[in-house]
Amino acid sequence: MRAAVGDRIIIKGHRIGEPDRDCEVIEVHGQDGGPPYVVRWGDSGHETLFFPGPDASVQSKEHAHT
Amino acid sequence: MRTIEAVRRSGIGITREQTVQEAASIMEHSGVGALVVLEGTAPVGIVTDRDLVRRVLAHGQPSDARVDSVMSSPVITVGADADLHAAYALFRTHGVRRLAVIREGKFLGMLTVDDLLVDLADDLTDLSRPISAEIYHAHHNSTVPAVP
Repeated sequence: MRAAVGDRIIIKGHRIGEPDRDCEVIEVHGQDGGPPYVVRWGDSGHETLFFPGPDASVQSKEHAHT
Repeated sequence: MRTIEAVRRSGIGITREQTVQEAASIMEHSGVGALVVLEGTAPVGIVTDRDLVRRVLAHGQPSDARVDSVMSSPVITVGADADLHAAYALFRTHGVRRLAVIREGKFLGMLTVDDLLVDLADDLTDLSRPISAEIYHAHHNSTVPAVP
């Protein structure tokens, strides 16, 4: 996975009826946009280190604004 | 099969100084039931939604209690490139439901018993399909039904 600051990461729900989740990339700690990422969750403002699995995908900042 | 190939979910790490209230909020927003507690990128513990109930709420702990006061530690780890059978052995030996997957001491993701069970159930369904066809179609040369 490759991501940049400002991108959103979408995490698919794991159970039927469970909504997708998303967070914003604040820092990129890997090389060449690789993980791990520091992300911010929703309006809580809480930040965590995020290690993407196969349930996660990146929505680029440019794509989100078009 | 390598252990890292069986990881199905993203891993979320917090620091040991963060509070249990923050941990609960992060679980709510991210939809996960367990967070790995990190020093840098090295896992030092796991805190689960169950820990928050049993070790915080049940004992009247304040919401600003540190995560490391309620986490399970040490965390059981498995190498990312280890054969998946090594992970099965660790689950059996330690009686845990989650393993931290690491490479060179750095956390990469969480492997859960739930995910392995789902994979096993899928494998069993695939394996049993020819047998089911024999039973229901009553002869050995029956066509195996296509996967829906």
